[in-house]
Amino acid sequence: MLKYVLKRLFWMVPLLIGISLISFLIMHLAPGDITTTEAGFNPKASEESRQKLREMYNLDKPLLVQYGLWLERMSTLDFGHSFASHQRPVFWQKTDDKGNVTPGLIQEALPITLLINVLSLGLIIIVALPLGIIAALTQNRLPDRSITLFVFIGFAIPGFWLALLLMYWTGVVNDWLPISGLHSLGFENMSWWGQLLDSIKHLLLPVFISALSGLAGIALFVRNGMLEVLHQDFVTTARAKGLPEGKVIFRHALRNALLPLITLLGLAIPGLIGGSVIAESIFAIPGMGKLFYDAVLMRDFPVIMGILTIGSALTLLGNLLADLAYAWADPRVRRGVMQ
Amino acid sequence: MKHTILKALSNPLALSGFIIIAAILLLAMFAPIISPYDPDAIDVKAILLPPSSEHLMGTDGLGRDVFSRMLYGARISLLVGIVAVGIATAIGVVLGAVSGYYRGWVDVFIMRMVDVMLSIPTFFLILAVIAFLTPSIWNIMIVIGLTSWMGVTRLVRAEFLSLRNREFVMASETLGARDARLIFSHLLPNSLTPVIVTSVLGVASAVLIESGLSFLGLGVQAPQASWGNILTDGKEYIQFAWWLSLFPGLAILITVLGYNLLGEGLRDVFDPRSSKKL
Repeated sequence: MLKYVLKRLFWMVPLLIGISLISFLIMHLAPGDITTTEAGFNPKASEESRQKLREMYNLDKPLLVQYGLWLERMSTLDFGHSFASHQRPVFWQKTDDKGNVTPGLIQEALPITLLINVLSLGLIIIVALPLGIIAALTQNRLPDRSITLFVFIGFAIPGFWLALLLMYWTGVVNDWLPISGLHSLGFENMSWWGQLLDSIKHLLLPVFISALSGLAGIALFVRNGMLEVLHQDFVTTARAKGLPEGKVIFRHALRNALLPLITLLGLAIPGLIGGSVIAESIFAIPGMGKLFYDAVLMRDFPVIMGILTIGSALTLLGNLLADLAYAWADPRVRRGVMQ
Repeated sequence: MKHTILKALSNPLALSGFIIIAAILLLAMFAPIISPYDPDAIDVKAILLPPSSEHLMGTDGLGRDVFSRMLYGARISLLVGIVAVGIATAIGVVLGAVSGYYRGWVDVFIMRMVDVMLSIPTFFLILAVIAFLTPSIWNIMIVIGLTSWMGVTRLVRAEFLSLRNREFVMASETLGARDARLIFSHLLPNSLTPVIVTSVLGVASAVLIESGLSFLGLGVQAPQASWGNILTDGKEYIQFAWWLSLFPGLAILITVLGYNLLGEGLRDVFDPRSSKKL
């Protein structure tokens, strides 16, 4: 097992190098850099400091040399500093000579996006599992038909549009929920209970919106998986030996139907991270999507590279975890992995 | 072939999807005839009017007729969806065929490339490319196409790998058929149906991506109308003009639903094993 994990981790290195190479080349497709874009041009920055920036990131050198230098820095996990005027570290906080700590951009944004994604993953599982099971057990009857209809609409509905309508309905017409941001004004002075309530109110819509399409997908997946399993011999055997129906469904059928779900959840990670861009920009949430969107508009190369690299690394780790979880849950796969 | 089309249209899912798409296609084609106003004509006396008999879907912040803009927006959605998926399918079929037919190191290389592309959060990648090019409808189609070929590649490769060991292919090979003949008259035609299903479903997600990009201001640029950028206006005026948000979103919903229904219906028709489920 350990050997398998190590092998997989080792394989991630060339994959990540490939990913970063593609990202790097794409970023430099169009001419221009931070010093030529209007948004990134800081009037306070002198020609000298801009030259320093150019030198620091070697923007005057050939592309492949630049990439080599980036790789060299990455080998010590140094993601560099943002090109923006605040020059904050891209990834993790840094302490200067005087002991002032500057927090990293990704360090601040990643937990927010992860929190939303974990919550929506939880929501997906809590809602989609029962829906899928009910649909499978009532195949072709009314509950199944309505759930299938919901699935098709959930797939087709543009999340940002639903977000807009819900924002309008709950925030503008009815004043039930705050329309944007993560915290209300005066968040620091609230009791922990008030802070929790405030956070829940702010997170409700973003979590629901980012869960919606995944919810539809997983419900359909569980339904189809259950139907497939319910027609297999071991389920017939379980019924034939007189097990109560509940035990047949939850002990025998469901467990087997859920196995492929583990892989599916692993594959869903890049979509969840990428999908955060629109939701975060609508609800003004300072997560990875917002950070990336702003960085892209400013051609803030170190931040873009940092986010693409970390996002991809998280994806690869997620896939590895999914495969391990699958092996843990299914002895047949485990035996295959060992060999 | 005629038989297949008839069979496909007798499937209720595929038929309803087909009707939806055909209706939108007709509306888009005859947009110049149907639309009551010039979609780009600014009318300062008719700003933000609610829906009425004169303006079926109201007017926007510049007094343009939303119904006319919706009709022209349909053209963008259909065009972007179909061309983007066409590009992705072409790349996917070629790479998948090469990978599955020649195997060996070519296969390893192409599959590693697929792994790399699948590991980058797709929307981030699209955003990064689009922002560096000048946003235009052609760039969007190319970028969506270049970032969504991986599924088709895997599919065609898997089909080729399993078909190559089938008797009729081996028989043809034994009789001395050349690579081209094997690929084009045996392997490719037999792997086409799953590719069609995947492509139809792919159009649905391309339409969603385009509208999302246009909504963020990185897609189709004003004054050219697209459902996504009408929604951007809708966001601006959401407190005064609900019709600017409602109609384009509904249009996207219906279009995507149509492609999904058609795709799932075709899957049922082509793959009878799964059709028992729905």
